[in-house]
Amino acid sequence: MINFEKVSKFILSDISINIPKGEIVGLIGASGSGKTTFVRLACGLLTPDLGRVRVLGKNPVNYRQKYFSDVSTFIVGKNLLDKETSVIQNFEMLRIMYGINKSEFYKRYNEISEMLDFKGYEYEKVISLSFGQKMRVEVAAALILEPMLLLLDEPTVGMDQNAKECLTKILKEKASEGMTILITSHDMQSISNICTRLAIIDKGTLIYYGSKERLRRKYLPKNKMTITFEGEMPNIDDLPINRYTIDNDKITYEYNDNYISSSEVVEVILDQTEIRDINIEKSELESIVMQIIGGQNEFYRSE
Amino acid sequence: MNDTLHLMTVYSKTTARAWFQYRVDAVLRSLAVFARESTGIIVIYFTLLKFNSLNGWNIYELLFLYSLIFLTYGIMIIFFTGLRDFGNMVREGSFDRFVLRPRGILFQIIFVNSDWFAAIGHGGLGITLFLISAGKVGVHWNIYNALYYLFAVIGGVLIQGAVFLFIATLNIYLIETGSIKELLYWNVRKFAGYPISIFNKGVQFLMIYIMPYAFVNYFPAQFLLRKEDMSQYPEIYLYLTPIVGVGMYLLAYAFWLYSLKYYKSSGN
Repeated sequence: MINFEKVSKFILSDISINIPKGEIVGLIGASGSGKTTFVRLACGLLTPDLGRVRVLGKNPVNYRQKYFSDVSTFIVGKNLLDKETSVIQNFEMLRIMYGINKSEFYKRYNEISEMLDFKGYEYEKVISLSFGQKMRVEVAAALILEPMLLLLDEPTVGMDQNAKECLTKILKEKASEGMTILITSHDMQSISNICTRLAIIDKGTLIYYGSKERLRRKYLPKNKMTITFEGEMPNIDDLPINRYTIDNDKITYEYNDNYISSSEVVEVILDQTEIRDINIEKSELESIVMQIIGGQNEFYRSE
Repeated sequence: MNDTLHLMTVYSKTTARAWFQYRVDAVLRSLAVFARESTGIIVIYFTLLKFNSLNGWNIYELLFLYSLIFLTYGIMIIFFTGLRDFGNMVREGSFDRFVLRPRGILFQIIFVNSDWFAAIGHGGLGITLFLISAGKVGVHWNIYNALYYLFAVIGGVLIQGAVFLFIATLNIYLIETGSIKELLYWNVRKFAGYPISIFNKGVQFLMIYIMPYAFVNYFPAQFLLRKEDMSQYPEIYLYLTPIVGVGMYLLAYAFWLYSLKYYKSSGN
């Protein structure tokens, strides 16, 4: 769906990536790492200095008009709607421009406007909306076109928790229907909820691309398991466990996924004592990414 | 095709609604443009009070010459406001919006905005000058002359539209072209209020071959007025306005299409 071959542009250097159909890919990186440049290359707003960009099998710069019926883009900070026109009028113009059937379009519009909660100001001019309201409307305008490929650059900026959750729900629905989605965000919580794959860019270089699970295993395989037991305290001296702490009938183990799995730990303990409760804490994706990128403070600054 | 017409209608209605939302303000601003542009005419009027004629052109003939500039600009600006403001669009990054839509970029720019105040101010002045002068310049208005006038106006609109399109396209490479527009368009336009025959050869060359304002008003006016100074120029020039308009527009459009590949989106 999106194919970059040794692409260099501005800070981006030698990026090669292939995003297959139906995936929701989260593109993350510190401020100024090249996330927005990546999106602009993918949507044909920029031409690479080196390498080749192919989207839906074509060079997006050369096939802009045909290509954009199948691709929908939202870039934070870019006004993709006419600010002097009302929200509903803007959507009507989109409908005509994309040649979408009226009843089908307004069915989608009613659903999205209710979910993202902007029906109350649909007759307001875009210019009179607050930043958060405008974000909802602009993101909705990208979603409503139901493209094959959806490119979202920082779509959750300025959205409240409720709107973020609704957006997550909508994106998951769209992905289950086969839409391919590339989303950049500094909001790790949203990204980890939505995406099936992650791409991490650091100073213009792609340092990781793959599933969230692989990322966990590869970079921070430390898990924490708390077991409430009944009876004798289990002996786990022979297990490759980093450390453990005891609090009455509770024992907490920290162990490495690469050396021992959760089920193996449980099996050994079950042989020795009765287990009343088990709680496993996986390492936070956010802390993994921050550890990889190494710039915790910068990471929270939007590009 | 129906979709395109529908879209044009929606765009035009939306734009007109936005411009005329505050009616009193709209009237006053249109009048302000009308008054501002009239100052040039007033200067000519007082000049002619002293000399009676300018290289054989009397006050009404000069008003007729002037009317073509204002009328063609008034019509042109309805369609080409987006190109007039293109530099700002590129610098602010709002041009991306048009690039990201599945319709012709130029089509969107043309129909998404119209400076109606400029259109009414300039166009209104053009029509007023035409009404004042047309009956007093000795033109026998028949169907042929009327048709000629119509095609000359269309040609004049296209010539100025092509200049706007060409200068707008330069923004893709240069980002800022305000001074080029000032130099090539607005300064040369000041000469066009007078018969080009009063200027030296260099200015005449500029106005015929470089920034061909002479085809917007001088040669069309000469076709109808047949003043003596026309003998300096080939007679074929009297008929070339629509051809020059279409030719220039096609060239500017080709330059536009070629240059779009080099458009570089600005930062957030």
